[in-house]
Amino acid sequence: MDRRGRTAFIVSFLAPATLIYGWFVVWPFLQAVQFSTYRWRGLSMNRQFTGAENFKRLFGDQVFWQSVGHNLWLLLVCGVVTVALSVGLAHALKGGGLAGRTLRAVYLFPQVISLVAVAVLWQFIFNPQGLLNGGLRLIGVTKPPTWLGDPKLALGAVGAAFVWYVLGFYVMLFAAGLQSIPEDVFEAAELDGSKGMHRFTRLTWPLLWSVKRVAVVYLVVNVMNVFALVFLMTRGGPDRKSEVMLTYLYEQAFTDSQFGYATALAVGNFVVIMALSLLILFIFRRDPTTRKA
Amino acid sequence: MRKLIVTVVLVIFILVVLLPLLWVVWSSLKPGDRILGAPWQLPAMNDLRWSNYGKAWTEAGIGQSFWNSVVVTAASLVILLPISAMAAYVLAKYPFRGSKLLQTVFMGQMMFPVFLVIVPLFFLLKDLRLLDSLPGLVSVYVAYSLSFTIFVLGGFFQALPNELMEAAMIDGCSHSKTFWRVMLPLARPGLVVVGIFVGIGLWNEYSLALVLNNSPQNKTLPLGIPNLTMTQQYQSDWGALFAGLVIVMAPVLLVYWFFRDRIHEAMLAGAIKG
Repeated sequence: MDRRGRTAFIVSFLAPATLIYGWFVVWPFLQAVQFSTYRWRGLSMNRQFTGAENFKRLFGDQVFWQSVGHNLWLLLVCGVVTVALSVGLAHALKGGGLAGRTLRAVYLFPQVISLVAVAVLWQFIFNPQGLLNGGLRLIGVTKPPTWLGDPKLALGAVGAAFVWYVLGFYVMLFAAGLQSIPEDVFEAAELDGSKGMHRFTRLTWPLLWSVKRVAVVYLVVNVMNVFALVFLMTRGGPDRKSEVMLTYLYEQAFTDSQFGYATALAVGNFVVIMALSLLILFIFRRDPTTRKA
Repeated sequence: MRKLIVTVVLVIFILVVLLPLLWVVWSSLKPGDRILGAPWQLPAMNDLRWSNYGKAWTEAGIGQSFWNSVVVTAASLVILLPISAMAAYVLAKYPFRGSKLLQTVFMGQMMFPVFLVIVPLFFLLKDLRLLDSLPGLVSVYVAYSLSFTIFVLGGFFQALPNELMEAAMIDGCSHSKTFWRVMLPLARPGLVVVGIFVGIGLWNEYSLALVLNNSPQNKTLPLGIPNLTMTQQYQSDWGALFAGLVIVMAPVLLVYWFFRDRIHEAMLAGAIKG
């Protein structure tokens, strides 16, 4: 009697979540693999199995590789800038004081406001008549650049908005990492005469190993999935010079109705993320601060 | 000297964070054509254009989007929290054959980006006649918040001692009564944190809404705002847009301010465990 009651209880409590999850998450996931093998244009149900054709096309698609390149560029540049700034700021915050407390109170603001607000806001900062150029004119620059309209600068401008958006999160992460290093480790180092840059490169930086690993994984996921910022700020332009994987996918699916090919792009994007994540786990496979037994 | 440099650096970054946000606020009170004409100019105190907010709310349709966002976010949480709590509780406290596997499957969604499934999802909703509707968006938001919510609540339930359950059962509570009367109330701090976290995320959500909901009467705020950048550019009157930006940002900043310590904790816990 009790066993039957238990089983009925388990089933009834799991059923709602499992049904919704199975229907809206698992089923579309399985279909994604299937769709990526179809030649399928337009809204008709007229689709045709073509095997690996979409993936062959993907390999030869210059725009795809160009957008992968832009993603990687953002990952590298924004990653280095973000990590450098957040490690520096985490150190500065340790000093505390009123300025430290104030920054602590506000640094997550960009992260909690909508990405849409961030994108629109930065679109207007970089507008030829916007806040940035207004400031440049005030200090005497007569011909400031057009930023988002300039093929050479558009991607960098999007990157700047990205760093503004994510920085607080990484400062918080590294500040917590610094806090987790016991104070007596630093005191011992000080007694041994290690301070400043030496202490940082020999002691602090290696001890931040686990935080660095988390930070890099998050950066990969964040940058490889960047969509709203680019889509709203530049639409991948000018001349695809800021196109990223997901804006290209969106265009293929919902502008050109190439649903099969777009799903293949989605699978490609997923594979790139997985490959990068595995690479990172490989690089960070061993904690350098713990000796091998 | 060192202290001075640190303070200067900190003040610079405080400005970097706050200046763009303050710019939005002060611009929202300026005449629309002066926002890009003279971006650094503060609004004239005797000529604050509160009318920008009225224009955004009614003429530009931000009011409609605002209520859609409220309804979608609230409905998603009302459905999400109980069903995730139920599932998390059973997975944490009632091990059965296959429960570990089911748990792994539930975590799966956090491993892949939604864009992987966006095309199948679009057609699934189309077949269900839920495309471009608020109930459709709510279903998708619930489904794609389950993984995270079950993960966090599972941690909370795991931390509650089994003795509490057993005591309640001995007192004659059924399995489900034990959950609703004893265990769920004890997990309230967890529900609050997840609710705030997921709620902020859904209020801000853009990509899924962009693909799934298109007609003006079904747009949420994150869709309504960029819409204004299109409709307003021909009049180059940006007052309503900047007022709209304040309307989308203010509620989350307010919620964040009241719960910031818990949000910090939750973000760190999630990042370091995950």
